[in-house]
Amino acid sequence: MNEETSNASEVGSILLDVGAALMSSGASTHRTRLTLERLASGLGFKIELLITQRALMVTVIDKDQEHFFSRLKRTSPHKINFKIVSGVSRMSWRVFDGEWNIEQVAAELRRLKKLPHYSQWLVLSTVGLAGAAFCHIFGGGLIDMAVAFTATFSGLFVRQQATLKKFNPYVCVFFAALTASLIAGFAEFFNFGNHPDAAFSTSVLFLVPGVPLINSVTDMMDGNIQNGIVRMVNGLIIAFAIAMGVFTVRILFSF
Amino acid sequence: MEILEIITKCLAAGVAAAGFGMLFNVPQRTLLPIGILGALGGLVKFGAMYFGVGIVFSSFAAATVIGVVSIRMAHSKDSPPLVFYIPSVIPLIPGFFIYRMMLGIMSLISVSSTEVYLQNLITTVNNGTKAIFILISLGIGVAVPMLITRKETMKKKEPGG
Repeated sequence: MNEETSNASEVGSILLDVGAALMSSGASTHRTRLTLERLASGLGFKIELLITQRALMVTVIDKDQEHFFSRLKRTSPHKINFKIVSGVSRMSWRVFDGEWNIEQVAAELRRLKKLPHYSQWLVLSTVGLAGAAFCHIFGGGLIDMAVAFTATFSGLFVRQQATLKKFNPYVCVFFAALTASLIAGFAEFFNFGNHPDAAFSTSVLFLVPGVPLINSVTDMMDGNIQNGIVRMVNGLIIAFAIAMGVFTVRILFSF
Repeated sequence: MEILEIITKCLAAGVAAAGFGMLFNVPQRTLLPIGILGALGGLVKFGAMYFGVGIVFSSFAAATVIGVVSIRMAHSKDSPPLVFYIPSVIPLIPGFFIYRMMLGIMSLISVSSTEVYLQNLITTVNNGTKAIFILISLGIGVAVPMLITRKETMKKKEPGG
Protein backbone atom coordinates (compact mmCIF):
# COMPACT_ATOMS: atom_id res chain seq x y z
CA MET A 1 0.00 0.00 0.00
CA ASN A 2 1.53 3.32 -0.99
CA GLU A 3 1.17 6.59 0.81
CA GLU A 4 -1.80 8.03 -1.10
CA THR A 5 -4.07 5.06 -0.52
CA SER A 6 -3.24 4.91 3.16
CA ASN A 7 -3.95 8.61 3.35
CA ALA A 8 -7.31 8.21 1.63
CA SER A 9 -8.26 5.36 3.94
CA GLU A 10 -7.25 7.35 7.00
CA VAL A 11 -9.31 10.33 5.87
CA GLY A 12 -12.21 8.03 5.03
CA SER A 13 -12.24 6.45 8.49
CA ILE A 14 -12.08 9.75 10.34
CA LEU A 15 -14.84 11.22 8.14
CA LEU A 16 -17.04 8.23 8.91
CA ASP A 17 -16.42 8.68 12.63
CA VAL A 18 -17.30 12.38 12.44
CA GLY A 19 -20.39 11.69 10.32
CA ALA A 20 -21.62 8.92 12.61
CA ALA A 21 -21.16 11.17 15.65
CA LEU A 22 -23.11 13.97 13.93
CA MET A 23 -26.00 11.78 12.82
CA SER A 24 -26.45 10.19 16.23
CA SER A 25 -26.22 13.58 18.00
CA GLY A 26 -29.19 14.99 16.12
CA ALA A 27 -27.79 16.89 13.13
CA SER A 28 -29.87 17.06 9.97
CA THR A 29 -28.77 15.20 6.85
CA HIS A 30 -27.82 18.38 5.04
CA ARG A 31 -25.66 19.54 7.94
CA THR A 32 -23.86 16.20 8.10
CA ARG A 33 -23.18 16.26 4.37
CA LEU A 34 -22.04 19.88 4.43
CA THR A 35 -19.68 19.31 7.37
CA LEU A 36 -18.10 16.19 5.91
CA GLU A 37 -17.59 17.82 2.52
CA ARG A 38 -16.03 20.85 4.18
CA LEU A 39 -13.68 18.62 6.18
CA ALA A 40 -12.73 16.59 3.12
CA SER A 41 -12.00 19.61 0.96
CA GLY A 42 -9.93 21.10 3.79
CA LEU A 43 -7.87 17.89 3.89
CA GLY A 44 -7.50 17.92 0.10
CA PHE A 45 -9.85 15.13 -0.96
CA LYS A 46 -13.09 14.81 -2.87
CA ILE A 47 -15.82 12.64 -1.40
CA GLU A 48 -19.09 11.03 -2.36
CA LEU A 49 -21.52 10.30 0.45
CA LEU A 50 -24.53 8.15 1.17
CA ILE A 51 -26.24 9.14 4.40
CA THR A 52 -29.04 7.17 6.00
CA GLN A 53 -30.43 7.25 9.50
CA ARG A 54 -28.45 4.26 10.79
CA ALA A 55 -25.54 3.87 8.36
CA LEU A 56 -23.08 6.02 6.43
CA MET A 57 -21.11 5.26 3.31
CA VAL A 58 -18.23 7.34 2.05
CA THR A 59 -15.98 7.13 -0.98
CA VAL A 60 -12.82 9.22 -0.76
CA ILE A 61 -11.11 10.15 -4.03
CA ASP A 62 -7.72 11.83 -4.07
CA LYS A 63 -6.91 14.77 -6.29
CA ASP A 64 -5.38 12.93 -9.24
CA GLN A 65 -8.33 10.51 -9.28
CA GLU A 66 -6.02 7.52 -9.04
CA HIS A 67 -6.74 6.19 -5.58
CA PHE A 68 -10.00 5.86 -3.84
CA PHE A 69 -11.33 4.30 -0.70
CA SER A 70 -14.85 3.22 0.24
CA ARG A 71 -16.28 2.14 3.53
CA LEU A 72 -19.58 1.65 5.24
CA LYS A 73 -20.19 2.42 8.90
CA ARG A 74 -23.17 1.78 11.10
CA THR A 75 -24.03 4.74 13.32
CA SER A 76 -24.71 4.22 17.00
CA PRO A 77 -28.27 4.61 18.34
CA HIS A 78 -29.41 8.19 18.44
CA LYS A 79 -28.66 10.18 21.56
CA ILE A 80 -29.11 13.91 21.19
CA ASN A 81 -25.98 15.87 22.05
CA PHE A 82 -25.69 19.36 20.60
CA LYS A 83 -22.21 19.88 22.04
CA ILE A 84 -20.90 17.46 19.42
CA VAL A 85 -22.88 19.12 16.61
CA SER A 86 -21.57 22.52 17.63
CA GLY A 87 -17.98 21.41 18.23
CA VAL A 88 -17.69 19.51 14.95
CA SER A 89 -19.02 22.51 13.07
CA ARG A 90 -16.35 24.75 14.60
CA MET A 91 -13.68 22.18 13.88
CA SER A 92 -14.71 21.84 10.23
CA TRP A 93 -14.07 25.54 9.63
CA ARG A 94 -10.59 25.30 11.11
CA VAL A 95 -9.82 22.35 8.85
CA PHE A 96 -11.31 24.15 5.87
CA ASP A 97 -9.09 27.15 6.49
CA GLY A 98 -6.11 24.79 6.43
CA GLU A 99 -5.22 25.32 10.11
CA TRP A 100 -5.69 21.72 11.25
CA ASN A 101 -4.46 18.38 9.96
CA ILE A 102 -5.98 14.95 10.29
CA GLU A 103 -4.38 14.04 13.63
CA GLN A 104 -5.84 17.17 15.19
CA VAL A 105 -9.27 16.26 13.79
CA ALA A 106 -9.08 12.82 15.39
CA ALA A 107 -7.94 14.30 18.71
CA GLU A 108 -10.69 16.94 18.67
CA LEU A 109 -13.36 14.31 17.96
CA ARG A 110 -12.13 12.24 20.91
CA ARG A 111 -12.20 15.35 23.10
CA LEU A 112 -15.74 16.28 22.01
CA LYS A 113 -17.05 12.79 22.72
CA LYS A 114 -15.59 12.96 26.22
CA LEU A 115 -17.05 16.40 27.07
CA PRO A 116 -19.15 16.10 30.22
CA HIS A 117 -22.93 16.27 30.11
CA TYR A 118 -24.78 18.52 32.52
CA SER A 119 -25.15 16.70 35.83
CA GLN A 120 -28.19 14.46 36.15
CA TRP A 121 -29.89 16.36 38.96
CA LEU A 122 -29.40 19.70 37.25
CA VAL A 123 -30.99 18.34 34.05
CA LEU A 124 -33.85 16.78 36.01
CA SER A 125 -34.59 20.03 37.84
CA THR A 126 -34.38 22.30 34.80
CA VAL A 127 -36.52 19.99 32.68
CA GLY A 128 -38.94 19.83 35.60
CA LEU A 129 -39.01 23.65 35.60
CA ALA A 130 -39.62 23.53 31.87
CA GLY A 131 -42.59 21.25 32.54
CA ALA A 132 -43.94 23.71 35.10
CA ALA A 133 -43.45 26.53 32.58
CA PHE A 134 -45.40 24.56 29.98
CA CYS A 135 -48.17 24.10 32.49
CA HIS A 136 -48.28 27.85 33.00
CA ILE A 137 -48.49 28.43 29.24
CA PHE A 138 -51.54 26.18 29.08
CA GLY A 139 -53.21 28.05 31.92
CA GLY A 140 -52.22 26.13 35.04
CA GLY A 141 -51.98 27.75 38.47
CA LEU A 142 -49.19 27.40 41.04
CA ILE A 143 -50.32 24.03 42.40
CA ASP A 144 -50.74 22.65 38.88
CA MET A 145 -47.24 23.86 38.09
CA ALA A 146 -45.90 22.03 41.12
CA VAL A 147 -47.68 18.88 39.97
CA ALA A 148 -46.26 19.27 36.46
CA PHE A 149 -42.77 19.77 37.93
CA THR A 150 -43.01 16.59 40.00
CA ALA A 151 -44.45 14.57 37.13
CA THR A 152 -41.82 15.74 34.65
CA PHE A 153 -39.00 15.25 37.13
CA SER A 154 -40.02 11.68 37.93
CA GLY A 155 -40.86 10.80 34.35
CA LEU A 156 -37.48 11.94 33.07
CA PHE A 157 -35.77 10.10 35.92
CA VAL A 158 -37.57 6.87 34.97
CA ARG A 159 -36.61 7.38 31.33
CA GLN A 160 -32.94 7.83 32.23
CA GLN A 161 -32.93 4.74 34.44
CA ALA A 162 -34.72 2.66 31.81
CA THR A 163 -32.21 3.81 29.17
CA LEU A 164 -29.35 2.79 31.47
CA LYS A 165 -30.94 -0.65 31.85
CA LYS A 166 -30.88 -0.85 28.03
CA PHE A 167 -34.60 -1.20 27.41
CA ASN A 168 -35.91 -0.60 23.90
CA PRO A 169 -36.03 3.22 23.46
CA TYR A 170 -39.76 3.27 22.74
CA VAL A 171 -40.40 1.20 25.86
CA CYS A 172 -38.35 3.75 27.83
CA VAL A 173 -40.64 6.50 26.52
CA PHE A 174 -43.69 4.44 27.45
CA PHE A 175 -42.43 3.97 31.02
CA ALA A 176 -41.70 7.68 31.34
CA ALA A 177 -45.11 8.68 30.00
CA LEU A 178 -46.76 6.19 32.34
CA THR A 179 -44.92 7.56 35.39
CA ALA A 180 -45.50 11.21 34.55
CA SER A 181 -49.18 10.87 33.77
CA LEU A 182 -49.72 8.60 36.76
CA ILE A 183 -48.49 11.38 39.06
CA ALA A 184 -50.46 14.07 37.24
CA GLY A 185 -53.43 11.70 37.12
CA PHE A 186 -53.44 11.33 40.89
CA ALA A 187 -53.62 15.10 41.21
CA GLU A 188 -56.54 15.18 38.79
CA PHE A 189 -58.26 12.24 40.50
CA PHE A 190 -58.15 13.91 43.91
CA ASN A 191 -59.01 17.27 42.38
CA PHE A 192 -55.80 18.88 43.44
CA GLY A 193 -55.18 22.41 42.12
CA ASN A 194 -57.51 24.58 40.06
CA HIS A 195 -56.71 23.39 36.55
CA PRO A 196 -55.55 19.75 36.87
CA ASP A 197 -56.32 19.23 33.19
CA ALA A 198 -53.42 21.50 32.26
CA ALA A 199 -51.01 19.64 34.53
CA PHE A 200 -52.09 16.29 33.11
CA SER A 201 -51.69 17.30 29.49
CA THR A 202 -48.33 19.03 29.99
CA SER A 203 -46.75 16.38 32.21
CA VAL A 204 -45.69 14.30 29.20
CA LEU A 205 -44.58 17.20 27.00
CA PHE A 206 -40.90 16.68 27.88
CA LEU A 207 -41.10 13.47 25.86
CA VAL A 208 -42.29 15.04 22.59
CA PRO A 209 -39.99 13.96 19.77
CA GLY A 210 -39.09 17.52 18.81
CA VAL A 211 -35.70 16.76 17.28
CA PRO A 212 -36.85 13.87 15.02
CA LEU A 213 -39.93 15.76 13.85
CA ILE A 214 -38.23 19.09 13.15
CA ASN A 215 -35.28 17.37 11.48
CA SER A 216 -37.75 15.36 9.46
CA VAL A 217 -39.34 18.50 8.03
CA THR A 218 -35.92 20.08 7.42
CA ASP A 219 -34.67 16.95 5.68
CA MET A 220 -37.70 16.72 3.44
CA MET A 221 -37.42 20.40 2.48
CA ASP A 222 -33.79 19.77 1.57
CA GLY A 223 -34.80 16.91 -0.70
CA ASN A 224 -33.52 14.16 1.58
CA ILE A 225 -36.98 12.67 1.45
CA GLN A 226 -36.00 9.16 2.43
CA ASN A 227 -34.26 10.28 5.62
CA GLY A 228 -37.13 12.65 6.32
CA ILE A 229 -39.64 9.81 6.14
CA VAL A 230 -37.53 7.61 8.40
CA ARG A 231 -37.29 10.41 10.99
CA MET A 232 -41.01 11.13 10.71
CA VAL A 233 -41.91 7.49 11.35
CA ASN A 234 -39.50 7.39 14.28
CA GLY A 235 -41.12 10.51 15.74
CA LEU A 236 -44.59 9.05 15.26
CA ILE A 237 -43.67 5.82 17.04
CA ILE A 238 -42.39 7.89 19.98
CA ALA A 239 -45.64 9.89 19.97
CA PHE A 240 -47.56 6.61 19.91
CA ALA A 241 -45.56 5.32 22.89
CA ILE A 242 -46.43 8.51 24.81
CA ALA A 243 -50.10 8.07 23.90
CA MET A 244 -50.04 4.46 25.11
CA GLY A 245 -48.66 5.58 28.46
CA VAL A 246 -51.28 8.29 28.84
CA PHE A 247 -54.11 5.96 27.75
CA THR A 248 -53.07 3.33 30.27
CA VAL A 249 -53.35 5.89 33.05
CA ARG A 250 -56.71 7.19 31.78
CA ILE A 251 -58.08 3.66 31.76
CA LEU A 252 -56.71 3.04 35.26
CA PHE A 253 -58.39 6.15 36.63
CA SER A 254 -61.68 5.66 34.81
CA PHE A 255 -62.61 2.76 37.12
CA MET B 1 -55.55 37.83 27.47
CA GLU B 2 -53.96 40.45 29.70
CA ILE B 3 -50.63 42.04 28.83
CA LEU B 4 -49.18 40.78 32.12
CA GLU B 5 -50.27 37.26 31.26
CA ILE B 6 -48.51 37.50 27.91
CA ILE B 7 -45.30 38.56 29.64
CA THR B 8 -45.35 35.72 32.17
CA LYS B 9 -46.13 33.25 29.39
CA CYS B 10 -43.15 34.56 27.43
CA LEU B 11 -40.91 34.08 30.45
CA ALA B 12 -42.31 30.58 30.85
CA ALA B 13 -41.53 29.81 27.21
CA GLY B 14 -37.97 31.05 27.75
CA VAL B 15 -37.50 28.85 30.83
CA ALA B 16 -38.92 25.86 28.96
CA ALA B 17 -36.60 26.47 26.00
CA ALA B 18 -33.52 26.67 28.22
CA GLY B 19 -34.62 23.53 30.07
CA PHE B 20 -34.86 21.63 26.82
CA GLY B 21 -31.52 23.02 25.76
CA MET B 22 -30.03 21.44 28.83
CA LEU B 23 -31.75 18.14 28.03
CA PHE B 24 -30.15 18.23 24.57
CA ASN B 25 -26.77 19.05 26.12
CA VAL B 26 -26.16 22.35 24.30
CA PRO B 27 -22.88 24.21 24.90
CA GLN B 28 -23.04 26.42 27.97
CA ARG B 29 -22.45 29.67 26.06
CA THR B 30 -25.68 29.09 24.09
CA LEU B 31 -28.03 28.48 27.05
CA LEU B 32 -28.92 32.13 27.68
CA PRO B 33 -29.47 32.95 23.97
CA ILE B 34 -31.74 29.89 23.72
CA GLY B 35 -33.78 31.13 26.66
CA ILE B 36 -34.09 34.59 25.09
CA LEU B 37 -35.02 33.09 21.74
CA GLY B 38 -37.69 30.92 23.36
CA ALA B 39 -39.16 33.97 25.11
CA LEU B 40 -39.08 35.89 21.83
CA GLY B 41 -40.98 33.07 20.12
CA GLY B 42 -43.55 33.18 22.92
CA LEU B 43 -43.83 36.96 22.60
CA VAL B 44 -44.53 36.75 18.87
CA LYS B 45 -47.05 33.91 19.26
CA PHE B 46 -49.01 35.27 22.21
CA GLY B 47 -48.67 38.84 20.96
CA ALA B 48 -50.14 37.90 17.59
CA MET B 49 -52.93 35.97 19.30
CA TYR B 50 -53.63 39.02 21.46
CA PHE B 51 -54.27 41.00 18.29
CA GLY B 52 -56.68 38.37 17.06
CA VAL B 53 -54.47 36.36 14.69
CA GLY B 54 -55.35 32.65 14.55
CA ILE B 55 -53.23 30.21 16.53
CA VAL B 56 -51.84 28.49 13.41
CA PHE B 57 -50.55 31.71 11.84
CA SER B 58 -49.25 32.99 15.17
CA SER B 59 -47.25 29.78 15.60
CA PHE B 60 -45.97 30.04 12.05
CA ALA B 61 -44.87 33.64 12.61
CA ALA B 62 -43.17 32.73 15.88
CA ALA B 63 -41.33 29.82 14.27
CA THR B 64 -40.19 32.04 11.39
CA VAL B 65 -38.87 34.68 13.77
CA ILE B 66 -37.03 31.98 15.72
CA GLY B 67 -35.54 30.67 12.47
CA VAL B 68 -34.31 34.11 11.37
CA VAL B 69 -32.84 35.06 14.75
CA SER B 70 -31.21 31.64 15.18
CA ILE B 71 -29.21 32.23 11.99
CA ARG B 72 -27.92 35.56 13.39
CA MET B 73 -27.12 33.89 16.72
CA ALA B 74 -25.36 31.04 14.95
CA HIS B 75 -22.91 33.54 13.46
CA SER B 76 -22.23 35.40 16.68
CA LYS B 77 -22.07 32.36 19.00
CA ASP B 78 -20.25 30.06 16.60
CA SER B 79 -22.73 27.16 16.75
CA PRO B 80 -24.99 25.79 14.02
CA PRO B 81 -28.53 27.28 13.90
CA LEU B 82 -30.25 24.04 14.86
CA VAL B 83 -28.68 24.23 18.32
CA PHE B 84 -30.75 27.40 18.82
CA TYR B 85 -33.99 26.75 17.00
CA ILE B 86 -34.84 23.21 18.14
CA PRO B 87 -35.05 23.92 21.90
CA SER B 88 -36.74 27.27 21.22
CA VAL B 89 -39.69 25.98 19.17
CA ILE B 90 -40.49 23.16 21.58
CA PRO B 91 -42.48 25.48 23.93
CA LEU B 92 -44.72 26.30 20.94
CA ILE B 93 -45.79 22.68 20.49
CA PRO B 94 -49.58 22.47 20.93
CA GLY B 95 -49.53 19.87 23.69
CA PHE B 96 -52.98 20.70 24.94
CA PHE B 97 -54.64 20.23 21.53
CA ILE B 98 -52.82 16.96 20.95
CA TYR B 99 -53.97 15.76 24.35
CA ARG B 100 -57.56 16.85 23.67
CA MET B 101 -57.44 15.06 20.32
CA MET B 102 -56.20 11.86 21.92
CA LEU B 103 -58.91 12.00 24.58
CA GLY B 104 -61.47 12.60 21.86
CA ILE B 105 -60.33 9.61 19.82
CA MET B 106 -60.50 7.51 22.96
CA SER B 107 -64.04 8.62 23.67
CA LEU B 108 -65.05 7.83 20.09
CA ILE B 109 -64.13 4.19 20.67
CA SER B 110 -66.49 3.80 23.59
CA VAL B 111 -69.45 6.13 22.93
CA SER B 112 -72.65 4.49 21.65
CA SER B 113 -75.24 7.29 21.36
CA THR B 114 -75.18 9.00 17.97
CA GLU B 115 -75.69 12.49 19.30
CA VAL B 116 -72.79 12.36 21.75
CA TYR B 117 -70.68 10.66 19.09
CA LEU B 118 -71.26 13.49 16.62
CA GLN B 119 -70.51 16.12 19.24
CA ASN B 120 -67.27 14.36 20.17
CA LEU B 121 -66.35 13.86 16.54
CA ILE B 122 -66.65 17.57 15.85
CA THR B 123 -64.47 18.62 18.80
CA THR B 124 -61.92 15.88 18.08
CA VAL B 125 -61.56 16.84 14.44
CA ASN B 126 -61.35 20.50 15.41
CA ASN B 127 -58.61 19.91 18.00
CA GLY B 128 -56.80 17.43 15.77
CA THR B 129 -56.62 19.63 12.68
CA LYS B 130 -55.44 22.54 14.81
CA ALA B 131 -52.73 20.41 16.40
CA ILE B 132 -51.51 18.99 13.08
CA PHE B 133 -51.51 22.33 11.28
CA ILE B 134 -49.63 23.99 14.13
CA LEU B 135 -47.02 21.22 14.08
CA ILE B 136 -46.55 21.52 10.32
CA SER B 137 -46.36 25.31 10.48
CA LEU B 138 -43.71 25.08 13.23
CA GLY B 139 -41.55 22.77 11.14
CA ILE B 140 -41.87 24.78 7.96
CA GLY B 141 -41.64 28.14 9.72
CA VAL B 142 -38.28 27.19 11.17
CA ALA B 143 -36.98 25.69 7.93
CA VAL B 144 -37.93 28.55 5.60
CA PRO B 145 -35.39 31.19 6.78
CA MET B 146 -32.70 28.52 6.55
CA LEU B 147 -33.61 27.74 2.95
CA ILE B 148 -33.74 31.38 1.95
CA THR B 149 -30.41 32.42 3.46
CA ARG B 150 -28.49 29.28 2.66
CA LYS B 151 -27.83 30.08 -0.98
CA GLU B 152 -26.05 33.25 0.03
CA THR B 153 -23.80 31.81 2.77
CA MET B 154 -22.89 28.86 0.58
CA LYS B 155 -21.66 31.19 -2.13
CA LYS B 156 -19.63 33.24 0.29
CA LYS B 157 -17.95 30.43 2.15
CA GLU B 158 -17.89 27.29 0.06
CA PRO B 159 -15.13 26.59 -2.46
CA GLY B 160 -15.88 27.05 -6.12
CA GLY B 161 -15.59 23.39 -7.10
